[in-house]
Amino acid sequence: MPELDDATLDFLLVRAGVSPTYEQRAGLKAAYAHVAMMAERVRKPRGRMAEPVLTYGFAEEDLR
Amino acid sequence: MSDIPTIAEAARLIAAKKLSPVELTHACLDRVRELNGELHAFVLVTEERALADARAAEAAVMAGKAVGPLCGVPIGLKDIVDTKGITTTCHSRILRDNVPDTDATCAVKLAGAGSVLMGKTATHEFADGGPSFDLPWPPARNPWDTAHFTAGSSSGTGAGVAAGLILGGIGTDTGGSIRGPAALCGIAGIKPTYGLVSRAGVAPAAFTLDHIGPMAWTAEDCALMLQALAGPDPRDPASASRPIPDYTAQLGTGIKGMRIGVIRHFHEVDHEVSAATQRGIDGAIATFRGLGAEVSEVSLSPLAEWHACGTLISLTERAAAYDEWARTRLGDFGARVQQRLLLGAMVSGVDYVQAVRRRRELRAELKAAMAALDVVLTAAQPSEAPKIDEVPEWDIGQKPSFTMPFNVAGYPAMSICSGFGEGGLPVAIQLVGKPFQEATVFRVADAFEKATAFRDRRPALLSALVAAQ
Repeated sequence: MPELDDATLDFLLVRAGVSPTYEQRAGLKAAYAHVAMMAERVRKPRGRMAEPVLTYGFAEEDLR
Repeated sequence: MSDIPTIAEAARLIAAKKLSPVELTHACLDRVRELNGELHAFVLVTEERALADARAAEAAVMAGKAVGPLCGVPIGLKDIVDTKGITTTCHSRILRDNVPDTDATCAVKLAGAGSVLMGKTATHEFADGGPSFDLPWPPARNPWDTAHFTAGSSSGTGAGVAAGLILGGIGTDTGGSIRGPAALCGIAGIKPTYGLVSRAGVAPAAFTLDHIGPMAWTAEDCALMLQALAGPDPRDPASASRPIPDYTAQLGTGIKGMRIGVIRHFHEVDHEVSAATQRGIDGAIATFRGLGAEVSEVSLSPLAEWHACGTLISLTERAAAYDEWARTRLGDFGARVQQRLLLGAMVSGVDYVQAVRRRRELRAELKAAMAALDVVLTAAQPSEAPKIDEVPEWDIGQKPSFTMPFNVAGYPAMSICSGFGEGGLPVAIQLVGKPFQEATVFRVADAFEKATAFRDRRPALLSALVAAQ
């Protein structure tokens, strides 16, 4: 995973509306590589019909 | 009875009028005065409230009123739990003067059960990050060796129970914040099924991963506390409307024939644990077999899969919850929380939803794996408590957590002490049940505690204090 470039980092931070310090920017660039790896882990070939989990509670089918 | 009673022991004695709630509370307050300066378990001690609660409990007992097992029992509330008229700081300078005008539901329920509120316990800032030294209050220290970490974020409750400052307390758990401190402080703590205990009035960390639960010296004590805490609450949109069983009914009935699955690859391959932790797990398996349980091996997706799913959800939901302050008051958070909020704000919506879709698959996987089992077992923490000044800065690339999978799944999961390792520091196992089957988890945990001697040992600093009194 290539490190985030400055332009992309700027875009993400502007979109988020947050203003890190210079030191925090450096840390974010390194840490974001791990976020990208995690995102890759959860991106599976599951097709468009696969629903998210029902997060607010278990369905009866979960309890059988 | 040991010098410091368990909740169950205290309840029996109080009901029999052989133990005064006021005297019990004074004993705990004395220990707070002696030890809190070293342990930092409390950010606020509510002595007047504690004594008022204790006197009310004593009056109820002496009047012959029917009282429950928490009547007159000193407890602590993690300082992200709202308490009406009592400062609730979330261990953050952002809320250092915050005085809520309502109680959290869990605070109401524990008060209604007659417990004695001793104060607000230390946490990591907004139940995140830690141990941090750039906050208005220092982090809690481990009573087994105060140079060591408690784990977090329910760090003050863990330290307070282990040191006998309180007999039980409230923790919250988004990725392991009940089970981590329970493990490193050598006590018991359960993250109940998602929705079983109301989150209303408790500061959020990540809405769909947050759980509220009890921490106490034994599994039986956790069962007694959960009995008071569980139940539906219209103030919590995720609250489950389920029948509440008697959580102590199965205790002492043995575990012969119960089926325990060991997720061996979690702690032997995916994240190899310390030698002492492994000995604790092996010893527990031998104990369970000796008690007549059937122990088998079970396999799930690698720990890193669960960790990635939970971390993406946690980062993003936390960033959403604290978005306004991250934009306007970022510098008022401690450094660790700032870093996490910034990173969470950078996760894309698509990545978040993919994580929530992955969550469904992982939950289905756990359900299938447990179909023919009563509980599963793995590590709760990778090792004994590290030194507090050697805990690394937060590293998102760190090895995956043993506790996060069961926040992702929402299944009940409990940490109990399984021995002692380097320097006499505790180690633990984690037991996981099916949704709303907390009673089964308690049954297994209680059988283990009663078959072993690990509940007979308290931190040395406490033994010295008791001997001096």
